Amino acid sequence: MHGVAIPITMIPGNSIIHRTNPLAKLIWVVGYLVLAFLTRNPLVLGILTLLGLILVQMAHIWRGFLMVMRVLVPISLMLIVLQSIAPAFPRPWSPIISFAGLTIYREGIYSGLSLLLRITSVTTIAMILIMTSHPSDLFTSMQKVGMPYVLNFILTMTLQLIPILQQEFAVVLSAQKSRGLKGTGFGAVLPSMVPVFVGAIERVQQLSISLESRAFGSQGAKTSYREVAVTPKDYVIGAVGTILTIIGAYWIIVNSAALDWSRTMVFAPYFALTLFLGAFIGFFIFIVIVFRSILQA
Amino acid sequence: MATPILKVENLQHVYPGGVVALRDVNLEIKPAEIVGVIGQNGSGKTTLVKHFNNLLKPTTGKVYFNGDDTAPLTVQQMSKNVGYVYQNPNQQLFARTVQAELEFGPRNLGVSEEEIQERCENAVEFFGLQELREKHPYRIGFPLRKLVGMASIYTMKPAVFILDEPTTGQDNITTQTVYRLIRRLRDEGATVVCVAHDMILLAEVVDRLIVMRDSLLIADGKPREIFSNHELLASTHLMPPQITELSLRMRKNGSASSPICLSVDEYLNAVKQLRAK
Repeated sequence: MHGVAIPITMIPGNSIIHRTNPLAKLIWVVGYLVLAFLTRNPLVLGILTLLGLILVQMAHIWRGFLMVMRVLVPISLMLIVLQSIAPAFPRPWSPIISFAGLTIYREGIYSGLSLLLRITSVTTIAMILIMTSHPSDLFTSMQKVGMPYVLNFILTMTLQLIPILQQEFAVVLSAQKSRGLKGTGFGAVLPSMVPVFVGAIERVQQLSISLESRAFGSQGAKTSYREVAVTPKDYVIGAVGTILTIIGAYWIIVNSAALDWSRTMVFAPYFALTLFLGAFIGFFIFIVIVFRSILQA
Repeated sequence: MATPILKVENLQHVYPGGVVALRDVNLEIKPAEIVGVIGQNGSGKTTLVKHFNNLLKPTTGKVYFNGDDTAPLTVQQMSKNVGYVYQNPNQQLFARTVQAELEFGPRNLGVSEEEIQERCENAVEFFGLQELREKHPYRIGFPLRKLVGMASIYTMKPAVFILDEPTTGQDNITTQTVYRLIRRLRDEGATVVCVAHDMILLAEVVDRLIVMRDSLLIADGKPREIFSNHELLASTHLMPPQITELSLRMRKNGSASSPICLSVDEYLNAVKQLRAK
């Protein structure tokens, strides 16, 4: 029953990162996004990821973080597989090895690795934000800097609905099992999807009615029960994040030619093949495990 | 004595996170018995009955079905022995038509096509679903949808039916249908376990009551005994049906010879007899 759910929520704690204002952390997330999407250089992306991992250590959120990564990394492995044989890269491509009608390209491996690192680094910092900030604090702070209340509300509700739907799915699945549901694969899970989605739609309809009846959308400034303090330290952290992002972005743009390693990074055929097959098998095992755990839950 | 159809031995259940939901529960349920499980919300009723079809596995202790340990069986394997009707039919129904819904269970059990059709005919007739056969389960009203949920288990013909709050949200007509269903199931030899807050159901239909409080089984007896035990009921914030309460107060205030009544009919009879004296 609990095998399927991945808790992407706050992990209570009292580290320096927990105590930092959500907005300051948000600046770092934006900085990461800017830098990660400016470059394909594996070293830069690797450094970003490493820095993220250090922050994870500081926040003591390894458990939750690894639970997310356990799902994300195997899915991202598929990127390496797909990119190796069909790089999202301007031609010409340089083939490394061909087998069974497939050709693995050097640019493909490069592109796959950099995409993987890009996803990992951005997710790491995003997880740090989500797992160390109370959702209400996060949204209250965002409202303070001008995010519209309605948009804010939509986001909060959506995030809150995810764990509810996960629970609902577990209940529905056990209801189907009580009716002798058998078999494996997607077909077996399908009967459970219908009640979950119907339930979700009904829930949203009821929510909208109940919101209307409680004067949602009335005029005037909204207040929040939770007060988010902004300390000088938060300004410093935010400022450091901004400055690092600007310097980093400038450096990446100026040195973009030197940072483009797509033609200089060479992969041995055996390495390429191992990576390709390893990624493929890793992804495949993951899919099998997911289906089995869903069915056994 | 016949083998109990369900037997629970020293059952304890601790949810992940350390919440103890059941403590040392011992229980035997005989075939063709109608058992009501009552208690406040959070007292462990649902946790207990979920062990009957293996939806939950004991943390310690054993559950036996017909004398066999259920531990090695999966929920799917148990589903032909024990049918579980959920409180909320929306969690159970998914097919495009009521008919398909009725066929789903027996088909999973590998029942022959002929037999499936026969069972569906039976169920449709018994639950009065003739008009709804080709309708979408989500297009029909809640009380009827709940009956479809029960009918979809009925076609699986399990030996034990677990009904989770079968009459909650029902109107008078469907409530009566549920009462008739429970009695008919017993007449057909099935055992019924009802988790319920519906005191009339518990007083008039059920043979035996089990009272749960704070994850313990605190009482087990005939409805008449349980409902006349004021301290017991008060300790777990339960109220007997009004008619029972009335007859109890009459006994207290003078006519000690008058019986404890569980239904309006019983009460009327008692009044007639008192007058005749």
